[in-house]
Amino acid sequence: MTEIALLAIAALVLTLSLGVPLPWCFGAALAVMYFIGDVTMKGMVLWGVQQLGNPVLLAIPLFVLAGTIMSESGIAAALLRFVNVFIGHVRGGLGVVAAVSCAIIGAISGSGLTGVSAIGPLLIPEMAERGYPREYATALVANSSILGLLIPPSVTMILYGWVTDTSILACFLATLLPGLLIMFNFSVVNLWMSRRFNLVLDEKPSISELSVNAARRGVHAFPALLMPVIILGGIYGGIVTPTEAAAISVIYAVPVGFVIYRGLRWDNFLLAGKEAATSVGAIMIMILFSMILGQMFVYESIPQQLVSSIFGVTENKVVLLILINILLFLIGMVVNDATAILLVAPLLLPLMQALDVSPIQFAAIMGVNTAMGGVTPPYASILYLGARVGKVKVTKVIPPAMILILIGYVPVVFLTSFWPDLSLYLPRLFGY
Amino acid sequence: MEKLTQYVLTALICSVALGQFVQVITRYVLQVPLMGLEESIMFPTIWLYILGAVNASRENTHIRANVLEIFLKTERQHTILAIVGELISLAIGLWLLTWAWEFTTYSWRVWKESPTLYIPTFWADVALVVGLALMMAYTASHLLAHVRSLKSGSAQ
Amino acid sequence: ADFKMSHVRPQGATIDVELNAFSDTVKEATGGDVNIKIFPASALGDYTAVQERVSVGAVEMATQPAATAADRKMQIASFPYLAPNWEAARKIYGPEGVLHDTMADLFAKQGITMLAAYPVYFGGISLNTDPVHPGDPSPNGIKVRVPGIKSFQLTGEALGYIPSPIPFSEAFTAIQTGVVDGVIGSGAEGYYASFRDVTKTYIPANTHFEVWFMIVNTEAFESLDAEDQEALKAAAIDFETQRWTVAEEDQAKWEQRLADELGANVVELSDDELAAMAGKVREVVWPEVLEDVGQEWGQSILDQAQN
Ligand code: NA
Ligand code: NA
Repeated sequence: MTEIALLAIAALVLTLSLGVPLPWCFGAALAVMYFIGDVTMKGMVLWGVQQLGNPVLLAIPLFVLAGTIMSESGIAAALLRFVNVFIGHVRGGLGVVAAVSCAIIGAISGSGLTGVSAIGPLLIPEMAERGYPREYATALVANSSILGLLIPPSVTMILYGWVTDTSILACFLATLLPGLLIMFNFSVVNLWMSRRFNLVLDEKPSISELSVNAARRGVHAFPALLMPVIILGGIYGGIVTPTEAAAISVIYAVPVGFVIYRGLRWDNFLLAGKEAATSVGAIMIMILFSMILGQMFVYESIPQQLVSSIFGVTENKVVLLILINILLFLIGMVVNDATAILLVAPLLLPLMQALDVSPIQFAAIMGVNTAMGGVTPPYASILYLGARVGKVKVTKVIPPAMILILIGYVPVVFLTSFWPDLSLYLPRLFGY
Repeated sequence: MEKLTQYVLTALICSVALGQFVQVITRYVLQVPLMGLEESIMFPTIWLYILGAVNASRENTHIRANVLEIFLKTERQHTILAIVGELISLAIGLWLLTWAWEFTTYSWRVWKESPTLYIPTFWADVALVVGLALMMAYTASHLLAHVRSLKSGSAQ
Repeated sequence: ADFKMSHVRPQGATIDVELNAFSDTVKEATGGDVNIKIFPASALGDYTAVQERVSVGAVEMATQPAATAADRKMQIASFPYLAPNWEAARKIYGPEGVLHDTMADLFAKQGITMLAAYPVYFGGISLNTDPVHPGDPSPNGIKVRVPGIKSFQLTGEALGYIPSPIPFSEAFTAIQTGVVDGVIGSGAEGYYASFRDVTKTYIPANTHFEVWFMIVNTEAFESLDAEDQEALKAAAIDFETQRWTVAEEDQAKWEQRLADELGANVVELSDDELAAMAGKVREVVWPEVLEDVGQEWGQSILDQAQN
């Protein structure tokens, strides 16, 4: 029966590369299972719809909406000015501001797009004006934007936790240190790259200027900085579940956007609601059919057969982990993060468990790989959005993006795979 | 249509956010039990997902991975690829629609109810068949548009 | 025939071992005609979804609680404080008991043949905190997760707790972080399986008698030849009979394990305290649930059960 699963995945990949929308690609795989593999469709839709009703998934649209509202509300400007106080005058400092601000935005939004859509329009022109090559600035902001998927909350970790029955809180914590490490790497790579740019720098402020600025801008940034505290404090402080925290972040963001930062108006609020609903709807309809495909695989015991046939080739943990990372890299090139998780996590989890890799560490491995997929061409949604925001050609953004990925990102991918403590330290601290 | 879409989707997503918020208030602040809210939220949730997906079809913003597109040079080739893609979408979507229809008739027949308020789950279940039908209608209209542009393109 | 059988517990749990043995028995008794593949840990969906799938024939078999969405009358199976002790439970739920027959009839209406009732345990309350006044059903301010089933929510409230319908998938984390302080709706073995690390206190309050049902899609069942049908039925009866002889001991064993292995405080309740809790739930919860399942129908079954 493994052959039929391979055929189904082949149908998926073929339709995908023809540019068929993803829900129907999963549908094509279902059709192969049904018409060729003779696996029943009876009761499958019933089951899939029931899965969609799980309240855990509801966190996804709510975190996405909160992120969209925040990026419309003008909060990013306050954050940028605040972070800039501390590092703006250093050579290459503005690039560090990009990485750090994206990480902070990441603690508010669950998606990888918020950073580039909120920070990009402000910072990319500013960086270009100060002498950074525009395509480099764009690549840096886009790459940093994927921190939104690694700093909790994170849509992909919600999906992973849901699909593999792992604690979502533990998954959130698993990608936090790798995420911070990536932020650090980007900052270092940026400082090094900046030596070659002809930059216009702020004057070095005096200590008193610095503290006055920090205080003034801090007050303005405070409501924004409070948001991650509310979200993460609420979850880890035992007040709310992740889904409820997502709802609260929406309820909080609306008045903050309308009244405090004033970027939110009735028209862009409605637009934000529509956009969040649409991007989530596109994910959910895909989830529906991918869940059914996964269930068909369970029917046929495909995951177990996959494990035994892989173990027939090698049982070497190092080799297999490297192969899995390469596989995830290739998958990340052609599909988006949610799809990669839905497709791969349930199939490979039994293998990881057989290799003695904990589901929480695998969450981090999946997390960093699928986040990276957002900036690896040919399908690089976050990089493309960045190029649009930064008003540069995609082909120009790719070379500097590759440098950041290779030097800043790939090492963390391997560290996450081969140094379990990186992803497991924080979850353990919280008792997982 | 655009305004209506914005209002409907924003209303749906805000209603589920409010529902969850009320849940927290009653449990954490008021410390009183609240029955039935959780299951009521399920109804706008399902409609939110499905209508969101319908809008993705309307705006043609479903997630896709245009790997092949990179290798195609001319506008005409792109249009032909788009037509092939929409044809496949239509064929598969219609097949899935028949299963969604089967599910809907099942749901109508069995008439399940939510656990405490006994709301018929049919009112959530029916969203799928409605949504898939609309998605296929939009897919067909995109297909027609591509075919038309191919014709006008070759006429020039 | 190849049948898929779903159950809700992890691989290696008591029921998993027993069902695998059952599958072997059936295979042998039918001369290899009926192969039952066991899917543990709700791999085919949670029990509510699986019951529907059995009903439409997408999954052939399951051993699990009764789902009430398609027929609210099925709530009668988990009626709180219906059986006061094991002896009564056997009379009510065991072979030829009134609920045994009632449930078989209700399942039949969904195109499902009930092969056996599987007594699991008397339910209790698991807390990740110290109990306030465990034997007294007046309000105690403790928040507990209850399954999204009306009778459990009402029972939780009647026993003095603040019930909160958090989904099962989030329940463990919610207790661990302190969103809620405990769970109602399962028993010692269930808590050991799913809430091991967050059970500081176990209150054997006998909230309800948990019984699972071995069910098979009627059409699939009838597609077997007469001999195989008989063999399957006989194996199921053996399976049930066997379970009734060990269930009570099994419950005591799991309560002991909660105390010994987890150091949980297993509260001892006096007969008077249990009677007071039962009395309050019967007075407050029964009328409401009875109204939902149909006053006359429900009352007639309760009357038969209590005599
Ligand atoms: Na995030
Ligand atoms: Na990619």
